[in-house]
Amino acid sequence: MKFVLLAAAALATLAAALLLGPANVPLGELTTSPIIWQLRLPRALLAFLVGGALGVSGVGLQALVRNPLADPFLLGLSGGAGLGAVVAIALHLPGPWALPLAAFVGAVGAMALVYRLGLIGGAELDPRILLLGGVAVGAFAAAIMTALVSLAEATELRNAFLWLWGGFSGASWTTVLVILVYAPLPLVVLAAAARPLDLLALGEEPAQYLGADVRRLKQLVYLSASLLTAAAVAVAGVIGFVGLIVPHICRLVWGRLHHTLFPTAFLTGGIFLAAADTVARTVVAPRELPVGIVTALLGVPLFAFLLRRWTVS
Amino acid sequence: MRRWAPRTHLAGLIAFAVAACARGERVPVRGGVAVTDDAGRRVTLAAPARRIVSLLPSFTEILFAIGAGDRLVGRTTWCDYPPAALAVPSVGDAMPPSVEAVAARRPDLVVLYRSGPNVTAAEQLERLGIPTVLLDLNLLEELGAATRRLGTLTGRQVPAESLAAAVDRVVSQPPAPSTQSLAFIVWDNPPIVIGAGSYLDRLAALVGARNVFHDVGSPSAQVSIETIAARDPDFLAVLSDSALPPAYASRPEWRVVRAVRERRFLFLPGQLFGRPGPRAADAIREFRQRLEAAAR
Repeated sequence: MKFVLLAAAALATLAAALLLGPANVPLGELTTSPIIWQLRLPRALLAFLVGGALGVSGVGLQALVRNPLADPFLLGLSGGAGLGAVVAIALHLPGPWALPLAAFVGAVGAMALVYRLGLIGGAELDPRILLLGGVAVGAFAAAIMTALVSLAEATELRNAFLWLWGGFSGASWTTVLVILVYAPLPLVVLAAAARPLDLLALGEEPAQYLGADVRRLKQLVYLSASLLTAAAVAVAGVIGFVGLIVPHICRLVWGRLHHTLFPTAFLTGGIFLAAADTVARTVVAPRELPVGIVTALLGVPLFAFLLRRWTVS
Repeated sequence: MRRWAPRTHLAGLIAFAVAACARGERVPVRGGVAVTDDAGRRVTLAAPARRIVSLLPSFTEILFAIGAGDRLVGRTTWCDYPPAALAVPSVGDAMPPSVEAVAARRPDLVVLYRSGPNVTAAEQLERLGIPTVLLDLNLLEELGAATRRLGTLTGRQVPAESLAAAVDRVVSQPPAPSTQSLAFIVWDNPPIVIGAGSYLDRLAALVGARNVFHDVGSPSAQVSIETIAARDPDFLAVLSDSALPPAYASRPEWRVVRAVRERRFLFLPGQLFGRPGPRAADAIREFRQRLEAAAR
């Protein structure tokens, strides 16, 4: 039942995203207008897919580090992505793909570094060291990035920050294709890890006794969640809040089992971000709001409402 | 007994000064100059400035245009016009200004554009005993007032007045009837356009090109590609020294915009169009020519 409802909500959100916008498209031209086919449809799909990827990535990372504050960007990925983007602009790398690709490489680089730090105590990933390492690597990358921006003379570098703050202005069928190439594998890996992740919630030792290969599980979950996030950064910049809040909302509403959490987090994240982007495009038209502002403005009251309702009952 | 005379004089002067201060004004001493700047401060110099640091390319251009270029002892890295400006030592990018680098030039006047960090820098310079003047220069309309005050502070009132009058004549021209429409695209992802509260919007109006984002009140704003497509400008104006189509021109999502599909770009060199300055009339002429050439 919940999946039917969520799927219906997802379709309704996508339909609203197609129908609403600053340009007036007559209903009769819906199927032919390039504004619908080249702009609104790829943008709505991209927002949905990125929201879903961030939601799932958040569920995976929160389960892995067993910390409710974990967020896909907490583990140094936003710093790494930002550094990659700024380096691409500073080196004048040509082509429309240089910036997203460099951001992806930066995020994966930060991920590798944090992963290596996480293994510092031996062959097991230590969640506490992952968190600390993530914060440290993120701060280090952000420091280099800020130094580059403040020393370089190119005014374009300041605009790198605009891109990095996230948004779907650059959405096209190509960016939809990019996330469709990167996302499925980590999504499948995470979905397959649903049962062992339930066990991990009991603690590492109990999970081991109950038959989970904890060491391998942690590595797979970490790499998959980070890859999902890096793919999201490459197509949409750093969009905060979705990966942090969506897992909590899903847990509050549908419980803690991961075989439910992963699909509901994907749909909820998608609905949430596609709706937020539609609001960002339309409320202050002809201007546009950065989508990160809308996710926070919509998400915080919703989250507070749910928290109140579920802690009271 | 003779010593009393100067003392009485001094007492008189002090009384006069106190009275003047009580009226909220400091009267410049003989040969001195004074203006009120855009931060509302009274700027008083004992004599016209001889060692000036200019922290905005437009001010550097104005100072050269009114014949005070030889008094410049410091400029920013961005001050590249006129070519003689490049011979003046640079004090850095001035974003924000390095107070130490400016003070090291031992200026008797620092000219700053009025912005948050610059107001702080001006306060720090004043504490070091260096006079500063904070001026607004976002719009064509503000050019005349800034020029006149720089003329007063440098003792070059006559050339400043003639330049300011010429600029005011340009400002007071009725806008040409618009035959073309355009949008200024300053960044592509996210798309950022120029709105009404800007120098470029005014220039466009003067050459008969309607800025399709004239209804946006702020100098610049983030919009969606969809809005640009719906407003359907005849041209996209790009601040660029090259005439190469911008990188986004080949991206599929941008091809929804007719001007991108038809490759109707208007390239405006940044050095001439990026800032209000004494060459505003040249900028308008150049703008008109490029528009006519592009429309053909």
